[in-house]
Amino acid sequence: MISFLGFLLRLAFWLLVAPLLPGIINKVKAWVAGRRGPPTLQLYYDLAKLWRKGVVLSTLASPGFVAGPAVAWVALISAAMLMPLGAAGGALSFRGDVLLLIYLLALARFCTAWAAMETGSAFEGMGAAREVSYAVLSEAALFAAVLALGIHTGSVSLVTMLSPMAGAGALLLAAGLFTVLLAENCRVPFDDPNTHLELTMIHEVMVLDHSGPPLAVILHGASVKLLLFTLLLVQAVLPMGGLSSAGAAGALAAGVLGVTVAVGLVESLMARLAFRRVPLLLTTAFLFCLFALLMAWKGGA
Amino acid sequence: MTPGVLLSLAAVGWVVGIASGRWFSRIWLGFTLAGAAAGLGAAVMVLFGGMDWEWRSSVAVGGEPIHLHLDALSALFLALLCGVGGAGAMYARGYWSEEHYPASAPRGRAWWSALLSSMGLVLLSANGLHFLIGWELFTVSAFFLVTLDRQNPEVRAAGWLYLAASHVGTVCLFAFFCTLAARTGSWDLGPMREQVGLAPLFWAALAGFSVKAGVFPLHVWLPSAHANAPSHVSSILSGVAIKMGVYGIVRFSGWLPVPAAAGWVLIGLGATSALLGIAFAFAQSDFKRLLAYCSVENVGVILVGVGGALIAAAHGDEPWGRLALAGALLHVWNHGAFKALLFLGAGSVLHATGTREMSKLGGLWRSMPWTAGLFALGSLAVSGLPPLNGFISEWLVYLGLFEAALGKGPAAWAAIPAAIMLAMAGALAMASFAKAGAMIFLGSPRSHFAAAAHECGLGMRVPMLALAGVCVLMGLAPVLFWPAVARAVGSWHPAWVAAPAPDSMATLGSVHLGFGILVLAGAAWLWRMALGNGLRRGLTWDCGYAAPVARMQYTSSSFGGIVSGWFRWVLQPERKMHRPRGPFPAGALRLERVPETVLERVIGPVGVAILHVSTSVRRLQHGRLQYYILYVVAGLIALGVLVSMGGVP
Repeated sequence: MISFLGFLLRLAFWLLVAPLLPGIINKVKAWVAGRRGPPTLQLYYDLAKLWRKGVVLSTLASPGFVAGPAVAWVALISAAMLMPLGAAGGALSFRGDVLLLIYLLALARFCTAWAAMETGSAFEGMGAAREVSYAVLSEAALFAAVLALGIHTGSVSLVTMLSPMAGAGALLLAAGLFTVLLAENCRVPFDDPNTHLELTMIHEVMVLDHSGPPLAVILHGASVKLLLFTLLLVQAVLPMGGLSSAGAAGALAAGVLGVTVAVGLVESLMARLAFRRVPLLLTTAFLFCLFALLMAWKGGA
Repeated sequence: MTPGVLLSLAAVGWVVGIASGRWFSRIWLGFTLAGAAAGLGAAVMVLFGGMDWEWRSSVAVGGEPIHLHLDALSALFLALLCGVGGAGAMYARGYWSEEHYPASAPRGRAWWSALLSSMGLVLLSANGLHFLIGWELFTVSAFFLVTLDRQNPEVRAAGWLYLAASHVGTVCLFAFFCTLAARTGSWDLGPMREQVGLAPLFWAALAGFSVKAGVFPLHVWLPSAHANAPSHVSSILSGVAIKMGVYGIVRFSGWLPVPAAAGWVLIGLGATSALLGIAFAFAQSDFKRLLAYCSVENVGVILVGVGGALIAAAHGDEPWGRLALAGALLHVWNHGAFKALLFLGAGSVLHATGTREMSKLGGLWRSMPWTAGLFALGSLAVSGLPPLNGFISEWLVYLGLFEAALGKGPAAWAAIPAAIMLAMAGALAMASFAKAGAMIFLGSPRSHFAAAAHECGLGMRVPMLALAGVCVLMGLAPVLFWPAVARAVGSWHPAWVAAPAPDSMATLGSVHLGFGILVLAGAAWLWRMALGNGLRRGLTWDCGYAAPVARMQYTSSSFGGIVSGWFRWVLQPERKMHRPRGPFPAGALRLERVPETVLERVIGPVGVAILHVSTSVRRLQHGRLQYYILYVVAGLIALGVLVSMGGVP
């Protein structure tokens, strides 16, 4: 009963807290630009509104157009449930759960790309092609990061492997994972979440034709993914071993807030990269993670 | 019922199939299916029953007494053979039917049974000579199946390429088996790990079997044979025939001593095959070629697992070696199931539209909903995505590699790069199948072939449904299949006797089940929400385009453009550009083609050079007697000079 309650609480955390992050990022951006900006809770209002709206479906779209976002959303929530939350651990932990998490993210990507292709639009085709192509590099970086953590802690399950290394290894890992976070969540400098009508974007262009509840699910899923990566980054580099559980929760929250603000600052201070530079930056992220791996290797030898 | 009885029944069924195939298609189907069921029964008895089956007879074939042997490892492959063989037979009746192909359909049925029997013979024979005979029969029957539609020159070329490449492999196998027989004094096969001197022979076996398995630089025959063969033949080629190469590698790396470098070479070959195979797949615009290259990738995944197991065995690291090998062997089954499903799906599309070019298709989900759904399921499985079977085996291989990396032993040096390369290959596989599924089934039809498509008949749908069911079942309940795989691992390495399924695998299975239910529930709920809120159909909005046409859609090569750019060094794409010029451009053109790089850029030129040299040598042979006498005289004089100068002739 307790575990069931814990499960529900955890689900509620992911469902309810995740949409806060994009709001904070937007606030930071507004603050840097000297504007008042939309309310922090704007995404919640948007989601509530979209959830009640009707759906316009392309004449070309199959039922997969609606099923795709649903599957992607379930996959993202399930991946999130595997992610440990500080002392509370994950909803479920087993050897090799980290692989399941990465592949659930891949499933979400497949479904989003599939739904995008349903419309037969060149824009959406472009976005889907970019999304699946850049994923190759970010997945390599993510694997290198996971291997680094695994070698450092001697474990392949998330609960035990998220115990940070010290020094340069942690810094390298932080740089690598932060870049992967930006790429996977379609933030500047990889993508610009503001430009809905440009040729130059990845994620936003894939969801151009979605509306109503499917769009709500997509937006919510994206915020869950952002929180998931933020938590991964924070727990991979922030040492919280000595803290009490309340202190750890506080540190975790502060870490998440810090990363979110950093994303906002990057977004305010940098321009989006030209597309041919994207692979270069992702390769750099991969190399950061690879060097972190080498540090982990050396550290324990 | 013993395995022996069931195997005899299978043999009877398939031999009757060979005999009756030409004239009686119903009887043929009945006997082939019965044979497949009996063979499957025998395999299941060995895999789950616990006892190996062995039969020696005093009757000699080719001077050697018959010795048949079915242990868990060969039973694993036999089960695959019977499953895919049965499904393909059923599919063939609708797909390659008498009314469409009056000349080749009867031949196809007979050769199908011949292929099944000869592959069965390869799996059962524990005698080098009979193995070779079975291997050759299997190669030849596959050749006749590939060239069923032999009026088409492209098909004939693909068939010849397959036959030539296969025989290059067979030459290596001849060398392997003959040397083995000469060294051991007997053609009899069996465990001989203690005879350390036999280790170098592994390289000959590896070369021979890799050609059949389609390991990366030796895969040259694979894409064109798979693409040009009738689709049910492609499904058994990819699902089972290339696995015979894998079987050979696994079998003889288990029975013979292996050189110290074997594991490292295998893991390297596997990782390279996986990454480059899938890079080629992503760049294809012919959907059957895409599937064929994807087989190169999957064989790579399997070899990574086998190579890992060899390294682990050499270093005495049982736990992770067992995981890697179990993953590899489970992937043999999984790949057989989903790739056969995908090829059968591709066959239905080809049957309905008559083109393999993805850029001419599109929007087929409307006319072929079953095929579209089943192809999508197969795509998810082949991309290794949860909750289907592909993920289970890849997860096991990854877990093995991760544990090896965590050990920080020498094996980690192979495991870390292999894991990262497999991760990239996995992401590319997902990209390839997102592309294939989307280009074929989504959007609007790009040509009139696609617009006039029709759904396949029930006879073709049932085998696809069966294969899809296997994919789902193996994904949701992997522990059911674990004992079989564990026994096969045990018969590969006698010290790694059957272990219970890892706890995490059971957990993963239940997570998959729960996730599967949630996915269905989530999709249904969202669909209901959408319907409840009001659903309107309209033109694709597309940033406000008023009149989108089918030609504006993204095509297969534009979808793969980014990645093809990264792999340009190996893909060597050919481009022909003619930009529109001037205020009134007359025409524009952009052609892009990814060649069969290894074949056209490496093997082709080398072959031409060899031919060139041999042609110039051939000038010596012109049929003029007086010159021949001159050669003899010159030779004698040269010999005389050599002797008189003190050399020993």
